[in-house]
Amino acid sequence: MSVALMPVVERLMPEFEALKKRLPPNFESTMVMPCLHRVQAERGYVADEDIVALVGYLGVPRMQIEQVLSYYTMFRRKPIGRWHLQACRNVTCSMRGSERLVDALAGKLGIKPGETTADGRFTLSEVECLGSCGTAPVVMVNEAYHENLSIEKLDELLGRLS
Amino acid sequence: MPGTPLLMTFPVTATSHLLAEYLARGGYGALEKALTTMQPVDVTKEVTAAGILGHGGAAFPVGRKWAVIKPNDGQPHYLCANADEGEPGTFKDRWVLENNPHQLIESMLLSGYALGVRNAFVYMRGEFDMPYRRLQAAIEEAYAAGYLGKPLHGTGFVMDLVIIQGAGSYVCGEASGLLTSIEGKKGYPRNRPPRLTVKGLYLRPTVVNNVETLSNVAVIVRMGAEAFRKVGTARSPGTQLVSISGHIAKPGVYEVEHGYPLKKFLFEDCGGMIGGRKLKGLIPGGISAKVLTGEDCENLTYEHGVFDKAGSALGSGGMIAIAEGTCMVRLLQVMLRFWHHESCGQCTPCREGMGWMHRIIDRIVSGQGRMEDLDQLIAISNANDGTTICGMGDAAGYATVGFIAKFRDEFEFFIQNKRSKCGGVLDVAESFGAAGVAHA
Amino acid sequence: MPDFFINGQPVHAEPGQTVLQAALAAGHYIPYFCWHPNLSVAGNCRMCIVDVEDGKGGTWSEIACNMPIEEGMKVLTETESVRNRRKETLQLILLNHPVDCGICDKAGECMLQDQHYEYHGERPVSFEPKVTATKFHSLSERIVIDNERCILCSRCTRFTAEVSGSHSLAIQFRGDHSLVRAVEDGAFDRDPYSDNVVDICPVGALLSKDFMYRSRVWYMKPTPSVCPGCERGCTVNIWHRKPEWKLNALDPRRNASIDRVTPLENPAVNGPWICNKGRDLAKIFERPRAEQALLKGKPAELAEAMARARDLVTEAKRPVALVSSWGSNEELAAFKAMLGARLTAFVKHDAVPAPGEVIEDKVLIRPDKNPNRRAAEALFGAAPISFPEGTDLVLVWGEGFNFAGLPRGAKVIFLNSYLRPENGHADVFLPISAQTERNGHYTNFEGTVSEFRACFARKAGVADAEAVFAALATRERVAA
Repeated sequence: MSVALMPVVERLMPEFEALKKRLPPNFESTMVMPCLHRVQAERGYVADEDIVALVGYLGVPRMQIEQVLSYYTMFRRKPIGRWHLQACRNVTCSMRGSERLVDALAGKLGIKPGETTADGRFTLSEVECLGSCGTAPVVMVNEAYHENLSIEKLDELLGRLS
Repeated sequence: MPGTPLLMTFPVTATSHLLAEYLARGGYGALEKALTTMQPVDVTKEVTAAGILGHGGAAFPVGRKWAVIKPNDGQPHYLCANADEGEPGTFKDRWVLENNPHQLIESMLLSGYALGVRNAFVYMRGEFDMPYRRLQAAIEEAYAAGYLGKPLHGTGFVMDLVIIQGAGSYVCGEASGLLTSIEGKKGYPRNRPPRLTVKGLYLRPTVVNNVETLSNVAVIVRMGAEAFRKVGTARSPGTQLVSISGHIAKPGVYEVEHGYPLKKFLFEDCGGMIGGRKLKGLIPGGISAKVLTGEDCENLTYEHGVFDKAGSALGSGGMIAIAEGTCMVRLLQVMLRFWHHESCGQCTPCREGMGWMHRIIDRIVSGQGRMEDLDQLIAISNANDGTTICGMGDAAGYATVGFIAKFRDEFEFFIQNKRSKCGGVLDVAESFGAAGVAHA
Repeated sequence: MPDFFINGQPVHAEPGQTVLQAALAAGHYIPYFCWHPNLSVAGNCRMCIVDVEDGKGGTWSEIACNMPIEEGMKVLTETESVRNRRKETLQLILLNHPVDCGICDKAGECMLQDQHYEYHGERPVSFEPKVTATKFHSLSERIVIDNERCILCSRCTRFTAEVSGSHSLAIQFRGDHSLVRAVEDGAFDRDPYSDNVVDICPVGALLSKDFMYRSRVWYMKPTPSVCPGCERGCTVNIWHRKPEWKLNALDPRRNASIDRVTPLENPAVNGPWICNKGRDLAKIFERPRAEQALLKGKPAELAEAMARARDLVTEAKRPVALVSSWGSNEELAAFKAMLGARLTAFVKHDAVPAPGEVIEDKVLIRPDKNPNRRAAEALFGAAPISFPEGTDLVLVWGEGFNFAGLPRGAKVIFLNSYLRPENGHADVFLPISAQTERNGHYTNFEGTVSEFRACFARKAGVADAEAVFAALATRERVAA
């Protein structure tokens, strides 16, 4: 079977095994979050078959993985838009205009925080402090921080995202 | 420069984080010195003599934490660097991770040598992408160069280092929640006893220290405790990486020598408030540290005892400068929304209390507040004081009590008049525009 | 062994005990929700916070369930500050708790009701609407959860992790929108100990679908009994209508039926747990009952049938008995005494595992699904059933024997409690009482003897097996 067709966990196995080598023995449980991060980066979300595969590979109870997926805000079990716009709404970003940014984004895209555009391009979320207060307001687009934003810069950014 | 720097001692360029340049700055020299001329216990003695306090927010004496680890007890010991940096207003560990990652690695090797650690971890918040890539690349450089994964300098000491990424939970910045997350579970903080230095990661003796705290270890070993203590004050030796943001003209990360005058820092080094506005309030050390008014800040010097006496704390070094015209009621609303969102939900006072406080402040902001609400907020804060599993409940309570105490007139105005005294403004810069004149 | 003080009184403690454990053992009550003697310490409800003197005129406070004991420490459990803190904690627990008592199964045995009455008893002070959540969310075919009532003590999740080992319940999400949920692959449905979570839930969040709205707890009385589901012999309480609260207007059978079964705590046998088969004892005991004696399938008076059976026993030259492994110690002794000399006895396995039933596990379930085979074999040996040449009478006592295996030409006396087609095939059929209608004892696989008591009265046309054995052994007529 070609690599692309293999289930995601199977495809990532060489990476997981490399990580395992730097961990002490019997640290399979520690690998839960690193594996979930990689699976989500590959697939865009964590699918049921990934959970089953990880339970088999790591030997942890299925419930542990379900709990982790529900507790941490960065994990998702359903696909979202191609570009995940995560706007910080915490103290300094609010003091530097994030509320207006979110309103502008919502208006431009026609969605509310928590929703995805009909064409599947953008999902808008409000998140808590991203640790970038010095360059507020900040929007995280997928994994990248976009700092020192203004409405103009936001327009320009949206234009670049296909 | 606000005093003598110990960490930010080189110009940051596009390549200054790479191994070759770190070596050129004398990097990994302290490690060689320790492994060839010192015993593990000597390293601990040096760190203890330096008197360094933790930089994550709790200011716990590092030597005292390390002293609990018993050498040769037949158990694995673990070392974890806390790179979760979730405290709002704080972004200074990021500076180390992006610009000087090898200093953290060398410091962790030194600490691991002192504490008898074979496996070390950096727990980094999942949102940090550039810091993760920089540190991971540095770790690969360190493995390739033989610092990690191989016995060092003819001793038996060898250490592996792995980054474990978080995934969006503030309480994973709490040391026990952090370890539970490294164990692959929900980041639930734990009750003490047992202390983590007795039963930590997988119930083994574990030291958790902040990234900045650990980064100082290489400095201490290189210059010696005595020289280290010449920087800063007697009670607060060394420096603090301060992240300053908000309505300040030059936000960013500054290394502030303990004892440096606060006003000088704010108004000279950081360029003062935008548009020359008045300093209305200062959140000094992440939002868990009690807010100070502009007047409070007049004569303070940046050190632990002074800030404690002023009724606040240095905390995580995350300063947020608040300009005149900012609505403090709405600011507290943002903070309570944050704590409500981040409560792990384990213990009664925080789980129910954060939601309750958030709903009260929402009701006040929507114009349906009652005068009793302020006493209720204080009562809930008191119910969280010392009754929770971790410090988040207490912190939310202290911050709330602080805001109401210092800005009570604004809260009462909002309730009585069903609107903000400041037009509900948080974003002063926009509201004041280029001319520095308030809009509506 | 450390000694310390509670409210000025010395308390003896065992090594390794926490303040809470030592306090409870010494009779000092400290209120709690999340702590349970058979589960790990969670320390999340915060109800058990006590004050400890710091030796400098002040006090520090911490949860007692996680507090190690130091020699001489002075614990205070009834100071004003401790009492106020309990009120605050209860206020917060009740903040979003729905006032469902009027319709909640748990009322009358609810820890939250009890603590509120004892330590708080005041009206809510919150001005906010309560947080809502799923109500009566099905966790399995047997258990529902009302998430609004749930106080997130985690007893149920710790149970499936530490006791039943199914890891099938957990708290999802976080903060005040945390929800107890079952794992998605159905493992909670397959957990044979799932119903224990209903017992340990301190409030009316986890509920049994079987028991839902069946009865108010104060109308029921518990009668100690022994589960006959396997040779572990867990002790149980069978709950049924109190006679003084008998229903007059509804179906009278509700006054003599099993409302629910709960564990009867037993450190030597099952601790505080039972498996789901024990919960479902009504499925065993309330099958359609045989209440009519039969002669070759035709209804007969009990006395007449007993007389006919006695004659058969007297006339038989080679009588064989198949002894019930559900017979009580008393019944088995009576059989031995009355008929043991006359009849060649074999011990029968009345019950075998049903398709899909757990055979054995590391918790409670044992492979032999009969409660008293050990005692029966002690009296009658363990030889497999075989009919010697010339067997002319078989006395079958209890269920589980396939009548096709009976020797040709032999007469059959059949003693059974339940309606079966074979009842009509026997020469004499005698209906006998069930376990719930008499007192007795079983001996479990380790030799532990446990008592069961009668919950209900035996019906008029039904005999106790002991009386039948006595009757069969004599030549006189015996009244029904």
